[in-house]
Amino acid sequence: MESTNNKIKILVVDDDSNLNNVLVDKLNISGFEAEGVLDGEIGLKRALEFHPDVILLDLVMPKIDGFEVLKRLREDSWGKGAKVIMLTLIDRMDSIAQAVDKNVAGYLVKTNFSLDEIVEEVKKIIKFPKS
Amino acid sequence: MSPQAKNYTAHVLVSLILLSMLVIILFLTKGFIQDFFVNPPSYFIENSSIEEVYSKFIFIFIIIVIVLITFIFYLLLTFNSRYELNVWNEIKSLAVSKQQFKMLYDSAPIPYLILDKDGNINNPNKAALRFFGAYPEEIEGKNFFSYIAGEYADKAESFFQNYKSRLDINRKEVQMISKNGNIKSVMISIFDLHGPGSIEAQGLAIIIDITEQKIIEKAKTEFLSLASHQLKTPLATTRWYSEMLMTEGTGQLTNEQKEYIKVLHIANQNMIELVDVLLNISRIEMGSMSADSVVTNVKELSDSVVNELALQISNKKLNIKLEYNNLFENVKSDPKLLRIIIQNLVSNSVKYTPEGGIISITFKEDSKERMIIVADNGVGIPKDQQEHIFSKMFRADNVKSLSNSQGTGLGLYLVKSIAVSLGGDIHFSSEENKGSVFTITF
Repeated sequence: MESTNNKIKILVVDDDSNLNNVLVDKLNISGFEAEGVLDGEIGLKRALEFHPDVILLDLVMPKIDGFEVLKRLREDSWGKGAKVIMLTLIDRMDSIAQAVDKNVAGYLVKTNFSLDEIVEEVKKIIKFPKS
Repeated sequence: MSPQAKNYTAHVLVSLILLSMLVIILFLTKGFIQDFFVNPPSYFIENSSIEEVYSKFIFIFIIIVIVLITFIFYLLLTFNSRYELNVWNEIKSLAVSKQQFKMLYDSAPIPYLILDKDGNINNPNKAALRFFGAYPEEIEGKNFFSYIAGEYADKAESFFQNYKSRLDINRKEVQMISKNGNIKSVMISIFDLHGPGSIEAQGLAIIIDITEQKIIEKAKTEFLSLASHQLKTPLATTRWYSEMLMTEGTGQLTNEQKEYIKVLHIANQNMIELVDVLLNISRIEMGSMSADSVVTNVKELSDSVVNELALQISNKKLNIKLEYNNLFENVKSDPKLLRIIIQNLVSNSVKYTPEGGIISITFKEDSKERMIIVADNGVGIPKDQQEHIFSKMFRADNVKSLSNSQGTGLGLYLVKSIAVSLGGDIHFSSEENKGSVFTITF
């Protein structure tokens, strides 16, 4: 993952291995360099190690959940500007508001988006300067 | 001597005087009365001299005067004691009602506390002691607002300032801490007992414990979240994997296989829709979806709904007319709920309008209400079934037979529930094979 090619690096943090796998495959097919991790703690560690261009972050995870990952990420000097897209099954308003508060680049509800649409969202966000 | 005793004494005294007067009078008039009964008045007047008649009248007059004087004497004698008796009765009934009030206050199941001008606790009732889990001496004299805790601890100061400025506090939700450190969710009300004109404030604080309700509410919300998450995970998985199978680059499928996967994908999409609707209905029915009023751009909501349905709209060559009239670009409402309403109405129109049909979304406003009108020239609703369309699981016969429509029969039920929960309503007019017009007011 720490390769020196100029592919855009994406980290997928999702505890559901099925969803994680298919998402990583799709992103790799679409020309990104994607890595998937199944747990928030490792996700945070990997993010701070290799500074991905975009993080796709699930919310409901064992040990530390997406909001906690986001909170700790924002405490880091690189992490506070990292581009994070929440990718979750939770569609409650309070959860969306909480994510917006933490300056996320997007909030996508898994069942409402196709893989193609997710790729489009990622591409859209990369074009914008870091938030 | 009690006022009653005084009053009795006066009665006895006056009765004695009247009785002795009666005896004296009877004694003095013995002859006169005998005379009077033996000789009837006519005879008596005819056979008496003028002097005799006069003297007898004067005698009667004197008796009347004496009776009157005695009565006045009685009134004077008892004046004071009768007044005192009234006061005494008043005081007695006051004492009774005070006692009733005290019982009511002390044994009411709701915690009551009296606060002094600085918000210190005086006289907590039994329920208040139970609430705080403390003896009277443990909380008396302590500041009421210092018990506000938990998520609301930082609001204690502003409530205290409110109280100091003698503003009533009415059913405010906070958390309070009991002696053993339990945090309880409560609604507090504090009323000034003496009104704003008085010099010193004294407050009546009322605590309504809503901890149980909060726990139940939380359990409901958590259950729905969990159910939602667990139901949707396999649906998302199926959605993405079937999509991957249909994507070029994962190997070639036969045309037949492609068809099968397409059916699988569509069935899964319908399932996603159904689960969303069911969860939304549960949230509304369980009361865990409450309307949050924020500044909402209804135009954007409507546009996003139309965009989402763009593929189906273009497949059916439907003509969409948007007449927003520059309205509702920032109104106070709940965007999520409003979006569910618009989404359901527009997607119904898309489903039930044949190719080349016209659908319009119109915003209107008058002095009383705001209206969102979704109209189409689709299949309409048969007259005899119109009264049922807002009931759960109802689908009209004419749409059940449409081969391409996969309705749940829950959409309009949900729309109606949401419209009502937003303080609005829904109306419609429809004619079979001519179309339908749905109007949401909010």
